Amino acid sequence: MPPVSGPSLGRRQAALGLLASALTLTSCGEPAEEIIPYVEAPEGQVPGLPRRFATTLALNGYGRGVLATCFEGRPVKLEGNALHPASLGGTDAFTEAAILSLYDPDRSRTVRQEGRPASFEAFLSALKPRLAALEARGGAGLHLLTGHVTSPTLRRLIGRLRARFPAAQWHAEEPVDERNALAGAEAAFGQRLRARPRLESARVVLTLDADPLGPGPEQVAHARAFAARRQARRGREAPFLRLYAAEPLLTNTGAKADHRLALRPWEVRDLAIALAARLGAAVAEPDLPPAARRFLDALAADLQAHPGEAVALAGPWAPPELHALVHWINVRLGAPVDYLPAPEPALPLAPLAEALRDGSLDTLLILGANPAYDAPADLGFGEALGKSRALTIHLGPWRDETAMLCRWHLPERHPLEDWADHLAPDGTASIAQPLITPLHGGHSAATVLGLLGGRDGLDAHAALRETWMEAWGEAAFEPLWRQALHDGVVAGSAAVPVLPPAPALPDLPPAPLPPGLALLLRPDPMLWDGRFANNPWLQECPKPLTRQVWGNALLLAPAEARARALRDGDLVRLRLGGRELTAPVMLQPGMAEGVAALHLGGGRQRAGAIGDGIGANAYALRQDAARWMLPGLELEASGEQAELLRPQEAHKLEGESTRLLPTLSLEEFAARAAMPPAEQPQPASLFPAVGGQAGAAWAMVIDTTLCIGCNACVLACRAENNVPVVGPEEVAARRDMHWLRIDTYHLGESEQDPRPGFQPVPCMHCETAPCEPVCPVAASVHDAEGLNVQVYNRCIGTRFCQGNCPYKVRRFNFHGYADGQEYANQGDPLVAAQRNPEVTVRGRGVMEKCTYCTQRISAARRAAAREGREIADGEVQTACQSACPAQAISFGDLKKPGSAVSALRREPQHYALLEELNTRPRTTYLAQARNANPALEDEA
Amino acid sequence: MAQHFSPSADTLFRAVLAGLALLLLAGLAVMLALPFTPHMTRRNDTVEQPVQFSHAHHVGELGLDCRMCHQSVVQSRFAGMPPTHTCMTCHSQIWTEAAMLAPVRQSLAEKEPLAWKRVHRLPDYVFFDHSVHVAKGVGCSTCHGPVQSMQQVYQAEPMTMGWCLSCHRDPAPHLRPREQVFDMDWTPPPDQRARGEALIRHSMIETEHLTDCSRCHR
Repeated sequence: MPPVSGPSLGRRQAALGLLASALTLTSCGEPAEEIIPYVEAPEGQVPGLPRRFATTLALNGYGRGVLATCFEGRPVKLEGNALHPASLGGTDAFTEAAILSLYDPDRSRTVRQEGRPASFEAFLSALKPRLAALEARGGAGLHLLTGHVTSPTLRRLIGRLRARFPAAQWHAEEPVDERNALAGAEAAFGQRLRARPRLESARVVLTLDADPLGPGPEQVAHARAFAARRQARRGREAPFLRLYAAEPLLTNTGAKADHRLALRPWEVRDLAIALAARLGAAVAEPDLPPAARRFLDALAADLQAHPGEAVALAGPWAPPELHALVHWINVRLGAPVDYLPAPEPALPLAPLAEALRDGSLDTLLILGANPAYDAPADLGFGEALGKSRALTIHLGPWRDETAMLCRWHLPERHPLEDWADHLAPDGTASIAQPLITPLHGGHSAATVLGLLGGRDGLDAHAALRETWMEAWGEAAFEPLWRQALHDGVVAGSAAVPVLPPAPALPDLPPAPLPPGLALLLRPDPMLWDGRFANNPWLQECPKPLTRQVWGNALLLAPAEARARALRDGDLVRLRLGGRELTAPVMLQPGMAEGVAALHLGGGRQRAGAIGDGIGANAYALRQDAARWMLPGLELEASGEQAELLRPQEAHKLEGESTRLLPTLSLEEFAARAAMPPAEQPQPASLFPAVGGQAGAAWAMVIDTTLCIGCNACVLACRAENNVPVVGPEEVAARRDMHWLRIDTYHLGESEQDPRPGFQPVPCMHCETAPCEPVCPVAASVHDAEGLNVQVYNRCIGTRFCQGNCPYKVRRFNFHGYADGQEYANQGDPLVAAQRNPEVTVRGRGVMEKCTYCTQRISAARRAAAREGREIADGEVQTACQSACPAQAISFGDLKKPGSAVSALRREPQHYALLEELNTRPRTTYLAQARNANPALEDEA
Repeated sequence: MAQHFSPSADTLFRAVLAGLALLLLAGLAVMLALPFTPHMTRRNDTVEQPVQFSHAHHVGELGLDCRMCHQSVVQSRFAGMPPTHTCMTCHSQIWTEAAMLAPVRQSLAEKEPLAWKRVHRLPDYVFFDHSVHVAKGVGCSTCHGPVQSMQQVYQAEPMTMGWCLSCHRDPAPHLRPREQVFDMDWTPPPDQRARGEALIRHSMIETEHLTDCSRCHR
């Protein structure tokens, strides 16, 4: 009879097993370890000491400088490069997570022909005769498809390719592109100009369906500029920026706005027209709802009161005429905006789909684009590509949807393995250098483009040197090249802003009201356009505002959902333009009614073991002509429910949100700041006093006014501290492992005006820590510098400390998330290469939590001890602190007079979370300061 | 019916019971003591190495400094093992044909590193830093013993947590002036306690923090 449940052991097997265990017990030493020295030590490499190199990562073609920390040639952590204008020392979520994608086990490793492994030589012999034939007819039938390319080297090589094949066509496609903005500039100025607001010079900012503080290539720079103008500090006279937002969907920018109005996109347009009319444009002021009229009255007065310091912004999804109108408004306001000339455009995707279908395409090379997944559905690109009989070649680091449909797939090197150059959004050039020998070989875009341009065997390094040798001249080249590599930025290469001509008012015909519900598509804050879908850090990172992980959802205003009898988690069928998609509903306070929103980036089919099938694929409904707003959406409840994974609910703090995250007006702040700092006596405690005479007293202060909820800190913590991925099932069981979370509170009084506030919550390192007395084995103890430390090798996993922590910051390894029971393919040895050797990888049954990056404190302490000095203020930067683009997190020694944290602790808006518990936390907060317009404040 | 058990059976039974209890206690005692025995700490165990390198010859007889080969000991947590190239700086000139050095020559020729067996091993959850100990006056021989007289290197000290703590609790008896750290023949002077206390003050050692868990575990 077969066993009922599981295989049972026979007597013989059991005896053997026992014998084996006995043998293991008697010889219970660990296996012998080896020390492998170098044969010849690399120059400058000291074993055990990390080295840092400057390089560049690109998002949508725009370079952002990073400094990579490498241990013995193995990059483990990326941080911002302070010299780079798009980084300024900060990072965003995508940059932080890029390090994991380098070690992604799903990366492509071999050249493939029709899906079968092949060699690069075989590819060359297939390509060469084609190229000869193409050259004979001037390149007709040769098409190149790329993403947005700013790289001077790639542009030069594409130029050579087009010189060799004059009839070749170059297409560029980005799912989140600038076409609307550039078309708007063309309508206003007659030139393709990119507008870059200088928020650091602004006092009043209006965003019209824009999200400058949201994800994107310029997030870090905007956040830094915004923060520079939102410093509520005692004795600081600098003006405090006021932010107005009118938008259909709640964004990070809307969350930080002093006044926000949820408007449908066509109402945003009306608001902009009305504003232009107030500023003297010859347009009829459209009818606005009363709330919008009141908003406009206050707003127009405020903007006009600050000439030269007021600026309006429109997002990439805003229609061209809104961009044109915003240009007109900005010129009228004398707004601090730089206009940079945009390079000549490549062709869009639609003609390429056409060429694929009509057979005029002979050879197609796809570099860094994934149109089989992310092309608008009405182009039918994937189908056309699959059916095409042309020679289709794909170069990419993953064997994605497009690679599967191409005849040839070439594995591309990861950006951290290759030489490249990129321009920052302000035009500053920077050079990316490889940090590691390519893990799986692979090829560079420069090599393949060189091949087509008639340069066989061109490697990226040589191509790059040629480009810059042309720019700098041979004599000056070597020192400049070394300097550029060292600094991670080419000094003085920023583009020079141009003076735009007087703007024309665009044609603004009255737009018909769209019928039914309008579907808004937006880039995903964590997955962008879907390219990061195979990164489990990003998948498991709660999206700002929705807090959702492992999936996306159709966002609806609560009132809209109620009107349709839909609840959170209801699966609905979306019908639009004859296409259909199923997604769960999520109620999102602060959304305008009459619209529904879906993030791009879900529903990948060939992302890899992590990203496949997570979320709904919004591209299935997207249309080439209407990329961001699609009217006529029909919803039909399927009657089924899906679980929405939102980890914040598992770590809810007890208290009123307005007490957990207080807000005070600028006037209240000023009144309090005018009084001398009051020392409040601390209530008595039964706990022993913390800390010794000597040594530091570490503390952290987080300014919630500056936090934009971008999640860079959350991912920086994850990368630095070897925090494992647990996967959706474990998240559903409320077992996520983030050491640092960003709690989002709705501080407003209504669903229409949620007024969200972000509060990053690491361990509070309480001086009288409730977790400590309940530990039966003293695994949770204090050290002399005030750190509440968790001793992993003592912990026996009672979880008493977790139960007794009022801040809910302790995380338990229910399984060996990093140690034998990993999620999906994350047990691959390749992934282990990312781990920080300075931090323990925790095993099953162990409690863990934020350590204030004790390894960084230790490194600074040891460096100071070696050099016989004290640790300087600012020398220890925690991972979250160094990631923060807004510099909202400060860390330092309370005992040091004049240290940044001790100064911040004396600010009038300083408070401790759950202060009434007398836990005396070392992590404290600055309350949100709000710069409200009195004209809008009275009645509310 | 005859009795099943003889009169002595009772005594025997009691003796067996007592014996079992004793055995249990003895077992417990052995289990508690076992980790501290040289058998488990591997104290004094020599390890077969790929090359029969003799510290006794190179350090004791020729007088090479520790840092000649363990270069990163003053900068890094890891003392460093010499690259093959370091061995060959001398051995390309002397003993060029010695059979004992064949693996070294082979390593250089084939660019294959030598794989030394680790002798001093700390658990993964201990983060030890050589450079700080050297900077604060803990000499090589304090932990590594008389390496200058070792034909084959062995672990001279138990390297248990208790042993680490014995110095972290009271470093004064073990500290020496910075310039004598690499002196393998150093012996504590008669007034070591006073000198050690002076050194603690001089090199700003915060003794009250030395036993924090976070010093070594993180």
